[in-house]
Amino acid sequence: MSDEEHHFDNKADAGASKTYPQQAGTIRKNAYIVIKQRPCKVVEVSTSKTGKHGHAKCHFVGIDIFTGKKLEDIVPSSHNCDVPEVTRTDYQLIDISEDGFVSLLTENGDTKDDLRLPTDDQLNAQISSGFHDGKDLVVTVMSALGEEQICALKDIGPK
Amino acid sequence: MEQQDLQCSMQAVEQSCAALHVSDPGIRSSAEATLLAFRKSPHPFYACQYILENSQVATAKFLAAATIQEAAIREWTLISPEEKSRLRSYCLQYVMARVETSEGYILSKILSVVAALLKRGWLEYTQAEKASFLEEVEQAVAGRHGLAAQRFGISLLEALVSEFSLSTASPMGLPAEFHDKCRASLEAGYLQKFYAWAFDASVMVASKALEGQGENQESAICTIAIRLMTQILNWEFRGKLAVLGKSRASTLSSSPASRKSSEQLQLWHDLLVSPAKVTWILNFYEHIHQKGNAWLDLPLSVVVRQLIVLMCSLNGSIFPTDGAGTQEQHLQRLLNCIISWIDPPEYVISAVLAGTSESEMLDGCRALLAIATLCSPSSFDQLLLSFRQTGTLSLLSSLTCGIIKASCVRESEEPSWTYEALEVLLETWTVILQPADLSQKVPLPPSGIEAASAVFQTFVEFEMKLSESSALDEDDADDMAAFSDEAREDRLSAVALIARTVPSVSLSLLTMLVSKCFSEIRQSLGSETTTRCLEQLHWLTILSGHVLADPGEGETPTVPESILAVSAEPATHPAVSLSFALIDVAQQSLDATFRTTLSPRMMEAIVWFFGRWVETYLMPDHAGRGPSSTPSGHEGQGVSVGVLFDGRNALNAAFGKDGGGPAVLEILVRVALTSLTAWRGEQVLQEYVSSRLLPALVRRRNVCVQLLSMGSWQELATVFARQDQMLLSLSDSVQRALSGCLCRSAQGLANADAANHYVKDLLMPMAASLAEFSGRKDLATFSQQPNVIHQVSCVLERLRGAARETIPRTQKAIFEVGVSIMKPLLVFMEIYKNQPSVVYLLLKYVVVWVDAEVVFLEPKDTTTVFNFCVQLLSVYSAHNIGKVSVSTSRSLQNEAQTEKYKDLRALLQLLTNLSSKDLFDFALHADENPDVAQVVYLGLNIITPLISADLLKYPKLCRQYFTLLMHMLEVYPEKVAKISPEGFSQIIGTLEFGLRQQDVEVVNMTLSALGALGVFQYQALCKGDDGLGAQSRTSGGDDVLSHFLKLLMHFLLFEDYSNDLVEPAADALLPLILCNTALFEKLKQELVQRHQDVESQERVSTAFHSLSRGIEIASTIDRSIRRKFRSNLFVFLNDLRGFLRTR
Repeated sequence: MSDEEHHFDNKADAGASKTYPQQAGTIRKNAYIVIKQRPCKVVEVSTSKTGKHGHAKCHFVGIDIFTGKKLEDIVPSSHNCDVPEVTRTDYQLIDISEDGFVSLLTENGDTKDDLRLPTDDQLNAQISSGFHDGKDLVVTVMSALGEEQICALKDIGPK
Repeated sequence: MEQQDLQCSMQAVEQSCAALHVSDPGIRSSAEATLLAFRKSPHPFYACQYILENSQVATAKFLAAATIQEAAIREWTLISPEEKSRLRSYCLQYVMARVETSEGYILSKILSVVAALLKRGWLEYTQAEKASFLEEVEQAVAGRHGLAAQRFGISLLEALVSEFSLSTASPMGLPAEFHDKCRASLEAGYLQKFYAWAFDASVMVASKALEGQGENQESAICTIAIRLMTQILNWEFRGKLAVLGKSRASTLSSSPASRKSSEQLQLWHDLLVSPAKVTWILNFYEHIHQKGNAWLDLPLSVVVRQLIVLMCSLNGSIFPTDGAGTQEQHLQRLLNCIISWIDPPEYVISAVLAGTSESEMLDGCRALLAIATLCSPSSFDQLLLSFRQTGTLSLLSSLTCGIIKASCVRESEEPSWTYEALEVLLETWTVILQPADLSQKVPLPPSGIEAASAVFQTFVEFEMKLSESSALDEDDADDMAAFSDEAREDRLSAVALIARTVPSVSLSLLTMLVSKCFSEIRQSLGSETTTRCLEQLHWLTILSGHVLADPGEGETPTVPESILAVSAEPATHPAVSLSFALIDVAQQSLDATFRTTLSPRMMEAIVWFFGRWVETYLMPDHAGRGPSSTPSGHEGQGVSVGVLFDGRNALNAAFGKDGGGPAVLEILVRVALTSLTAWRGEQVLQEYVSSRLLPALVRRRNVCVQLLSMGSWQELATVFARQDQMLLSLSDSVQRALSGCLCRSAQGLANADAANHYVKDLLMPMAASLAEFSGRKDLATFSQQPNVIHQVSCVLERLRGAARETIPRTQKAIFEVGVSIMKPLLVFMEIYKNQPSVVYLLLKYVVVWVDAEVVFLEPKDTTTVFNFCVQLLSVYSAHNIGKVSVSTSRSLQNEAQTEKYKDLRALLQLLTNLSSKDLFDFALHADENPDVAQVVYLGLNIITPLISADLLKYPKLCRQYFTLLMHMLEVYPEKVAKISPEGFSQIIGTLEFGLRQQDVEVVNMTLSALGALGVFQYQALCKGDDGLGAQSRTSGGDDVLSHFLKLLMHFLLFEDYSNDLVEPAADALLPLILCNTALFEKLKQELVQRHQDVESQERVSTAFHSLSRGIEIASTIDRSIRRKFRSNLFVFLNDLRGFLRTR
């Protein structure tokens, strides 16, 4: 596989960096939202009014889906918010290099080599030990706003 | 024990007591261990006495006292009678000697030790022993041995009463029977004496108690004596004397009381209600009252008032059956005293505002409530008229008004006395206007009408001021609002009740104010005044809703009788005028320019009001036309029909089908549509529309007929079906409710074809768009776009809302829509495997759809549905089992857990719904039906690994799981037996878990499941089959069913459970016993051998014998055997539980 193709793959994924407008009032708990340019999962929504006879506003508490940081925002509920496109793609794990990069097999048979092992210790340990035990592992890569991270793993090896 | 040893143990205890307060946890826990060991040490009495006498550390002494009690009760059977009486008299002497000292709490602890010792031996002492002991106490209480002894005597009685009362008894490791016998003995033989002694004691010291500042010895004695009297009045009397206590409603049954108890009643009567005794108490308080403010909050004053309030609630056969004459006199006597606490109201309230204590006034209000509970409105009013110009009702009225005005002055402190007083007074009104027993409802006397109208007017005036001043407040205290909502609801209902007694006055007042506020809003567009008026109008709207109509809540509310009784021309009927005033406001909200003046909050009130109003007033079904006709019941009564009819005519002309109804309906539909579309993002408002107003509109068929013929409804339906962006931006619950209401209105169509056609027109476009999405080539990327996800979610919500409102005549359409999207749904299940929220919505839709359709399905359709569900389940399990997902943040991880939990619940529901299919199709041939068992078996295999004890702690999930489990075990035990060993042991584990739940329903289902398992095994045994086979042996080698037999026996005999569980437990126990009679016999022997004496052994084995009587020969478990065993078990538990369980 050439470098060019590799870049092309990324571009095909570039759609994932798009955001879509959605009315604040319809964004529920557990949905995604962009707060301060970061893709977040909403963990708390509350509505209140500006004064007794004012209009409704939404108060969002979001968790950055990549860093886990908590972010908050207040938006009038009739206004639009940006909703990120969050995708998850499964790849088979081929290799783990010594510098912490993983090599993944894409659906059309190419490899994808630009991702590091996840920062999460538990998941990291499970991937590494599973790989060294020779298990067949499928990892899920989450991407949003042009950023990517391994977020889950599944053993598809023979039982 | 040597002096030195005693000294040592005292020091050890003292040091440990001190070490309890050290911050180092190590030292603290070792100190705790020392103290515990001391408490558990055998025969610690001398050491305890030594500590009591010599220690300077108060906690050590307290501990020593507690240790005496614990050890004496623990070693009761080992201690000689002499030792027991020595301990008792030691304690008494100890207290006597130190009664002057300040260590009050140690002394009262020692008194309670004495009380506990007495109770422990109570059933062993002879009458003479008890009598001689109590005689000494009586001497002391009567003051023969001086004031100190008197005080101590009364305290001892107090300790005795509380020890013998079941709710405050200390644990003794004895059967409940023992505690109950002691209670009954005290109740029958002694309480009366104690009361009399306490009364005499307080009479004796009363005059001295009133001298000085209320701090002398006599006043203390008087306080505890009267406290003892209130304690006795609060005693939970049982049996014939049940009438004495607080149980107000109960009256003695008409069966002739035994001579003894009627004598007792007479004695109680003399003690409690004879004029001399009552008057003395009242006079005594009168003296205290005259001492002024400084005395009002003294303990003495507080208990005397408590006693008086308690006396107000005396009821029942303590009064002779002389047409309530004696009781009336009794209440009059009391009221005559109480009146000085609350009358004249203006004076009393202004005194309290100026700093006088409010406690007396509050007790006055409580006394009024107690009296009102016992009287009819007119006799309540009469009570005061016997010695004054005005009746009690007008006093109540002016007191209420005064309090309302006073709360205006001091609104800053939230839980203030005005708040409490108003609560009590409004409850008094409610009791008068709406007695618990509605058959005793009688009209108010004329003076009451005036009184009620004064209260209503004052309340409205006050609230209007309050709204005006609070309109500009920032309303950000959310949790405060939640609290006050409920309190406000109660208060408004109480006030509405008052308003309805004077409908003409109250409704006209409201109409006038609504119009006034509204016209002010129109004149002052967009200033602060507008906001103030809006807040006032908001409040008026809410109150009008409460006054005009009752909440439906599943029943068909009727127009309040008193409003119906107002006879007037249609145009001038007060209810009509008020309704039109508010319809006017609603109509103006349709105007786009004016709308900006109104606020979301105002619209919420309007929508709320009409949601309530519609059910009661709009196009009612006429009486007599059907069983569901609205204002029924009056016809039979004859007398009032003529009067009521007038009001009904006016209302019919204004809002009936042939009158103004359709026009009003048109306005309301337009208001609903505008609220959904023109108030973007105002979720609360939209929720009110979709969950209150619209459901109210489509609830009745005749209204639906009208709706479907209207352009505005058609418009709403069209916009909806088109998936117009306008309505797509509503939140999910609104989508569901809206869709449900639109489908529900199909009941107004003449036949099933038309209804199905209508529903298909509504839903098919959406189903089609799902199908179109799922067929796209670029689905993988397209489907992940947030806007697509949003639209798919919306459609799923709408379909679910529609399915939930399936009615027989639209069932076909809903089914066809469902079938048409089966394929797309499977595609979505796959493609959205990483979007848990979509997966959840999808599952929920299928759950609701299956639930709605399963009753109607033909075998052919059933196959379709079942195949679909199997596919869905396998796609779900393929993506969700065995996946480890870790997230960077704990809260995201928790969220993921919650999502799993919700999915699991949906799956459980789906399986339960599916398995209910064969309940309906019992009669059909088995081979025509697809194998339900197979589907559910597959599901169970998927679900059992996902269930964990932690998840079962969620009550909803727990119930669903056990519902399913019960059903499976009852219907397909053979399938369950074939499940994998891990799965099976998982199921067994959860059954054990279920048995230990608090939730009665869960335990009930667990028992049914167990019973089913037992029956299955027993039948297999009878037939010589394998039954559960290898499954039944757990890893421990013990047979599963034997394990449950032990568990269940223990549960039944020794644990707390609701009586309702005995029957299901019997059904579960029977097969378990039959499966393993040998073990049952062994359990019986174990229980018998627990007892040393032959008598007890006999008792246990007789009980067991009667339990198994008649079931030994059973070869099959049929209904008569079950019934027999149930009654056996009841008898068995009655005999043994009180005897075996200890406390």
